[in-house]
Amino acid sequence: MHRANFDGSFAAWRAIARDLLQREIAPHQVDWRDEDSSAGLFDPVCDSLDATPATRAPRVPRQLLELLESAARFRVEDRWSLLYRILWRVTEGDRSAMLPGDIDGSQLHKRIKAVRREAHHLHAFLRFHPLPDNANGPQFVAWHEPAHDILASASSHFVERLGRSTWLIATPQDGVYWDGQRLHYERPCPTEWQRLAQAPEDQGEALWLAYYGSTFNPARLNRSALESNLPVRFWKNLPEGMLIPQLMSQARAGAQRDGQAESVARQPGKRIRHRATDDGSPSGNAGRAGLLPPLPD
Amino acid sequence: MQLIDKLSILADAAKYDASCASSGAPKRSSRGKNGVGSTNGMGICHSFTPDGRCVALLKILLTNFCLYDCQYCVNRRSSDVPRARFTPEEVVTLTLDFYKRNCISGLFLSSGIIRSADYTMEQLIRVAKLLREEHEFRGYIHLKTIPDADPLLIEEAGRYADRLSVNIELPTESSLIRLAPEKQVRTIRQAMHSIHQGESEARAEKRAPRFAPAGQSTQMIIGADATDDSTILHTAASLYGDYRLRRVYYSAFSPIPQSPSTVPFSAPPLLREHRLYQADFLMRGYGFSAGELLDGPGNLALDVDPKLAWALNHREHFPVDLNRAEPAMIARVPGIGVLSAKRLVALRRHKRIRFEDLTRLRCALEKAKPFIVTQDYRPVLAEHCSAHLRQQLSETPAQMALW
Repeated sequence: MHRANFDGSFAAWRAIARDLLQREIAPHQVDWRDEDSSAGLFDPVCDSLDATPATRAPRVPRQLLELLESAARFRVEDRWSLLYRILWRVTEGDRSAMLPGDIDGSQLHKRIKAVRREAHHLHAFLRFHPLPDNANGPQFVAWHEPAHDILASASSHFVERLGRSTWLIATPQDGVYWDGQRLHYERPCPTEWQRLAQAPEDQGEALWLAYYGSTFNPARLNRSALESNLPVRFWKNLPEGMLIPQLMSQARAGAQRDGQAESVARQPGKRIRHRATDDGSPSGNAGRAGLLPPLPD
Repeated sequence: MQLIDKLSILADAAKYDASCASSGAPKRSSRGKNGVGSTNGMGICHSFTPDGRCVALLKILLTNFCLYDCQYCVNRRSSDVPRARFTPEEVVTLTLDFYKRNCISGLFLSSGIIRSADYTMEQLIRVAKLLREEHEFRGYIHLKTIPDADPLLIEEAGRYADRLSVNIELPTESSLIRLAPEKQVRTIRQAMHSIHQGESEARAEKRAPRFAPAGQSTQMIIGADATDDSTILHTAASLYGDYRLRRVYYSAFSPIPQSPSTVPFSAPPLLREHRLYQADFLMRGYGFSAGELLDGPGNLALDVDPKLAWALNHREHFPVDLNRAEPAMIARVPGIGVLSAKRLVALRRHKRIRFEDLTRLRCALEKAKPFIVTQDYRPVLAEHCSAHLRQQLSETPAQMALW
């Protein structure tokens, strides 16, 4: 048995994997240990890597490396051993190992899909809060709890989105700060960043909450569709998350009769007096006798 | 009136439009630039409301004052709803604020018809122009087009918007005459034609200014009249063909407050709407024609999905041998999608397809089983009767409970 201790980064894993391949050490002979793994009570005594000489120079398709790097972001106990097994099989000439129909390949692609989805969740469900103007801090901060290690690779999306604005994203594991010109990535996340991101007071949120409540159609209430599209684990960090149970119970308790939001139904209505235009058609552009709604005060 | 009160009213007034897509825009980025906003072709749903629908855009009306009296519409002039009107600047402020908070990917702006079609259209364009030119906003903009507006205004709208849409509203002309007396199929189709022409011109010439790069879409209301699914699908197919629409949205008619007696006051037919979307998807992505999905008048089955219904009616094409069949035919097997079909074709270059491969590709095996042959599997004879199969494979055809 060979034990490979490393820092949990893909670059470090790749260097070790290359070395192991050159020494023709098979997947079942390697025990991968990154920073998160705990030492087992019955760990076997391990051979030193240097004991076996390098014998071959494996060729790895570039596309495979990209797949492996992406799957490495999936948080799971055996993340590194699956990757090495696939790498081993492909270098042995069994390229089906990287296809979704294969027994290992299907795991690989399942992980890649979950990672891609989690990156998409970051882009979709993260919420920035504006910070009061101050000279040094970021203009916007966000707290997010991703299920996989996607922050480093997926956060440049917000550089494209927010231009010169400065922002900070903190998670329980890592953090990223855009100062307007450069991205600064830190793992573990500095506690100061976590503090900034977790406690913003934000009055402006009320407008978004009003919109969310009003754009919901209670006549179409569909809890399972909501939960499959917006997993419950994200609710606690979304401003609208606390509205969801309330809107659902209102809808069940009668507001489901028609589509109108309760806050709108409470207000007095206004019918519009119909004045036909000269040619008798109310819709033509010719007549200007139509309606002139009041402009806001 | 406070901004927040206007927002409550004008979001409530806009929600019956089903479209909220933010996809199809060209790549734009604000990296190192003034202003905000980016698009990359992929849409993002930033939230979902308890009806399970996506919130990708700030979807509001500029005003819900309206001259028209469309019976199915909550904002018709005879409706007793609270009314409000945004200034263009207020819409800009809301869009930018929500955008920076990462709550939305852009704006979907529509309006009641005020004063005249041209005036209304000018107001919508003004908002888009303010966003694009004064605030350098590069996010997604979808503008509703007023059918009777001047083609020159439509052309101007196309320069600022990613998507334009004109609602067909109802699947037949007779329904439109009955329920939306101020609207005309002729002008609706004319507006679609103007947009289509703008798109074609922009595509034909490389240096032509951008015109609605995410194309046009439309919406049909389902269940406000008695039109059957066959007519609906054929209308949709003709719209896809005539104007190269990106999407036809089907919106199950939701009962509205103080409903007039001309439209039903019953639960929205959500399952029917779902089947129409499935059928529409088969037309756009799988090469099915409207006539294949429904060869005579009538509605799509509610108990089975349209692909399964087609397969049950066309047993002569099945079972399909996954090791030999054309990719397009594999994609027609119930339970196997276009992506799985592609993956099967890739896999069979390396090995013979076996039944367990389908499990790994996460195909819907219960549905697929009676219709496929693999190296180690043939459907048993007992499964051959369509009526029996249908009974086994049907979902409970119950609508969701309302109140």
